[in-house]
Amino acid sequence: MILLTNVTKEFDGKRKVRALAGVNLHIHKGEMVSLVGPSGSGKSTLLNLIGTLDQPTSGQIALDGQVLSGVADDELTRVRRDKIGFIFQFFNLLPSLSCLENVALPLHLRGWKRKEIRERASELLDLVGLSQRKDHLPDELSGGERQRVAIARALSVYPPILLADEPTGNLDTHTGGEILALVRDLHERLGATVLMVTHDRAVAESCPRTVTLRDGLVVDDIARR
Amino acid sequence: MLLRLITWPYVRKHLLRCTLTTAGIVLGVAVFVGMHTANQSVLYAFNRTVDKIAGTTQLQVTAGETGFPEDVLERVQGHPGVGVAAPVIEATVQTGLQGEGNLLVLGVDMTGDRNLRDYELEKADEAIIDDPLVFLAQPDSVIVSEKFCQRNGLKLNDWLTMRTMEGPKQFTIRGVMQGDGLASAYGGNLAIMDIYAAQMVFGRGRTFDRIDLSVAEGQQVDRVQKSLQAMLGPGLQVDPPSSRGQQFEAMAKIYSMSANISSLFALFIGLFLIYNTFSIAVTQRRGEIGILRALGATQGQVKRLFLLESGIAGLLGSLAGLGFGLLIARGMARYISDFMGEVYGAAQRAEEISADPRLLLTALALGVATSLIAGWIPARNAAAVDPVKALQKGRVQVITEGENRTRRWTALALLALAILCVFFGHRPLFFYSGYLLSVLAALLLTPALCSWLASLLRPFMKLLRPVEGALAADSILQSPRRTSGTVAALSLSVALVIGLGGISKASYETILDWADAALNPDLFVSSSQSVTQRSFRFPASLGAEIQAVGGIDEIQAVRTARIVHEGIPVMLVAGDVQRLAKRVKMRVVEGDPRTMYQLVERGQGVVISDNFALLRHVHKGDVLHIMSPSGRLDLPILGVVVDYSDQQGTILMDRHLFVKHWKDDTINVFRVYLKPGYTQQAVRQELLNRFGQRTRFFVLTNGEIRAFILRITDQWFGLTYVQIFVAVLVAILGIVNTLTVSISDRKRELGVLQAVGGLRSQVRHTIWMEALAIGTLGLLIGYALGAVNLYYILEVTRRDIAGMRLNYRYPFEIALTLIPVMLGAALLSGAGPAEAAVRGSLVEALEYE
Repeated sequence: MILLTNVTKEFDGKRKVRALAGVNLHIHKGEMVSLVGPSGSGKSTLLNLIGTLDQPTSGQIALDGQVLSGVADDELTRVRRDKIGFIFQFFNLLPSLSCLENVALPLHLRGWKRKEIRERASELLDLVGLSQRKDHLPDELSGGERQRVAIARALSVYPPILLADEPTGNLDTHTGGEILALVRDLHERLGATVLMVTHDRAVAESCPRTVTLRDGLVVDDIARR
Repeated sequence: MLLRLITWPYVRKHLLRCTLTTAGIVLGVAVFVGMHTANQSVLYAFNRTVDKIAGTTQLQVTAGETGFPEDVLERVQGHPGVGVAAPVIEATVQTGLQGEGNLLVLGVDMTGDRNLRDYELEKADEAIIDDPLVFLAQPDSVIVSEKFCQRNGLKLNDWLTMRTMEGPKQFTIRGVMQGDGLASAYGGNLAIMDIYAAQMVFGRGRTFDRIDLSVAEGQQVDRVQKSLQAMLGPGLQVDPPSSRGQQFEAMAKIYSMSANISSLFALFIGLFLIYNTFSIAVTQRRGEIGILRALGATQGQVKRLFLLESGIAGLLGSLAGLGFGLLIARGMARYISDFMGEVYGAAQRAEEISADPRLLLTALALGVATSLIAGWIPARNAAAVDPVKALQKGRVQVITEGENRTRRWTALALLALAILCVFFGHRPLFFYSGYLLSVLAALLLTPALCSWLASLLRPFMKLLRPVEGALAADSILQSPRRTSGTVAALSLSVALVIGLGGISKASYETILDWADAALNPDLFVSSSQSVTQRSFRFPASLGAEIQAVGGIDEIQAVRTARIVHEGIPVMLVAGDVQRLAKRVKMRVVEGDPRTMYQLVERGQGVVISDNFALLRHVHKGDVLHIMSPSGRLDLPILGVVVDYSDQQGTILMDRHLFVKHWKDDTINVFRVYLKPGYTQQAVRQELLNRFGQRTRFFVLTNGEIRAFILRITDQWFGLTYVQIFVAVLVAILGIVNTLTVSISDRKRELGVLQAVGGLRSQVRHTIWMEALAIGTLGLLIGYALGAVNLYYILEVTRRDIAGMRLNYRYPFEIALTLIPVMLGAALLSGAGPAEAAVRGSLVEALEYE
């Protein structure tokens, strides 16, 4: 499903910084993988590369067999739009749009019909347990509720890959647990491949597979039953 | 120190935005400096010419343009305080030399004149230098400048042809002047000839245009001026040569007024751009301010820091504006002198720009003050930032409802005051206060109007593009502070365009209506190519000869002359009033048209133009004290009619009265009406055949006169169009500024849009739609403000500029034209920021705080 071959990423500045130093990783379809490592180890960079938000300096990334190197920006956006759902630590909801509109946003971008958009967005909000909050603005919700809306938005087209960057990092333990349970439940029900960056050992260990990064390299890859 | 540590890095990071911010000040100051410097340069050039021609002249005796009989000279020379007195005739003639334009000819009495003026003769017959009588004995003699000779390859004893009242005539160059004095006046296009020859060839009869004099040794100039004035009576004016500059200044005043309004608008627009940018800067730099406060900076220090920044922005913008203004002044000076030449016949080409240090300092102070006023509220808000809240991540500062409410109530209070001022509008203080208050009220209401209009627009925008439209509208709704400053600047520009466009349209319509009524003869016979040139006059006897030409039904002889009335040059029109009134149906504002013309014909009073009445605040029944060479004439105003022959106003009197008191029966223009069946072209040709070679004789058709008037009107509005262009340019800069800020404000939002699958084109559309929405808001509010602005501009024109009573007609065509212009400009402004939004790093955007 996700295949990384000798991927490197360098950032140019006054001093060149190498965030990834040759990562090889294969994630199979339907896996739920946690990505851990100390700050600066390259976790978020790796997630951004897989999510097509950024391009590697060298190496190759393939999603579902499609190699992403040298692909034009609009094509990358289409890959992102059709195959990837993002869940961010700080939710990244648009403050001016209601919950329903936030969830509907990717569907509008895909040019869906209004009626279908409304039905799908309502269905997703129902799925994350927020159907009663659909007309509320993000500012009117709690942190956990906002993350649920963000998850609903990430699932809007039922993407085969779900990328989560510290989805519980900005939540208290109880709410974090609820969100994690929701992600796991959706993973099981929808069968999406989930890759989750986390600092939380408990969250990481709750996933069947944990990949550890250090200094831009995969240093450990543990699979559990 | 704070400036270097805190401000400089921010400026460096946002260089484009900071530059755009000062653009309003640059343009405002530039227009102010450019227009006034151009005016002053033309005036300076005029004064220099007057000085050079005046030589050692201390006083001049004049009677406006009409001249006075020769016997005045003897009376002046007989005055004990007068040392030397020399008569002068001044005429502008065409030389017929390629590219030379006009030549100013001074007719002087060589025997006395050389005591006043040094001709600095370089080459001349010895006889002329030694004995001016030789010069007198040869009436075809002229002295010209060395520059003129060099330009045209002329030398001593060559012939020079000039178009005189005796037809094209050859003169012999009998002297060449050199040096920077008299010879350099009028760019060297100056010739001297004998005064009696000048009287003859320029059709002056036994009159002089003026007498130049110096006082006797030991006499005080002001005392001689007073006693000479008392001796000559009020019909003749005794003034130092510099007073001619004052009259010229009065004519140029209209341009100054117009320049002031435009500069104020540009500065107002600049004020909003600066306010906008500083408000945004305070919002964006809250974290920085929080840290400063946490480290011990006082509220006063923070406030001073921001005020200092706005002051520096104002200073830099003003300095750039000064430079730019001086740069454009040259072009403007050329334009103004051409216009003055066309309208007043008093052209003086400004060869160099004279910058008045006081003007430059005023402009600098205006620019800095504008910037400081604009920065005041943001600086106060910066000082009020709570360090605890400012340091909390992700908190967004929003306008409080309380702030909005206060602003709305203030706006409504100002509006009420402005309406109150309308009722007391006859007093200038109340009128201009009302103008200012209504503009301020509209601007204070802008944020509320923006929110309201944007919420109205949102459904339409959403319908058009569900995501991009909604996001664009929400961006405006979410940040009224960011948007309203630009919308205010934009609406000010639109209001200025509506105001200037409206007055331009109304003026054209009114002038054309007047031209239809007043300029209805088929042909105009004039002694000059232009009807505004009055250097030459026909003898009255020519009228009978013209009347005898076949096909002519009626001719009306008209004498026009600019006279000085209460210090202001106005136009005196003398004609056969009854006959004029029969053919010309000018709109009567005051008086009874059935009787007033009869009374004017009997010499019992005058009819004045509406603009004269409005500018001088006089009405029917008031008595005008008109100074003629024969003494003061006290004539009641019998009626007021709509007439735009002159921008300063006209006085219509019967020709017999003029001839009697001015002792001058010459004619400027014959108005010719044709019999049915005769064409203008055929009669014109016949007239030219008969008189063309005999005298200076020009025949203009009705269509040519109307085209000339429209050209003058176009020229008058030419600078107005420049001002419109500046206003639109400033507004565009405002949109670019706002969108640039908007992009950085919404970096994360736009990043999210792309992260969830938005294509670059969709992000672009969002920015474009926001730009279009800002443009639309500016247009809508500007249309409303423009309606008010037009009312005030029409009133200012009526009261203080031209005295023209213009009809209020909203310029819908211009309003419609503005839609593609403003929206196109908005879209264009959005192009750069839109590209910046899609080109940046997506990862950075998502992490942006």
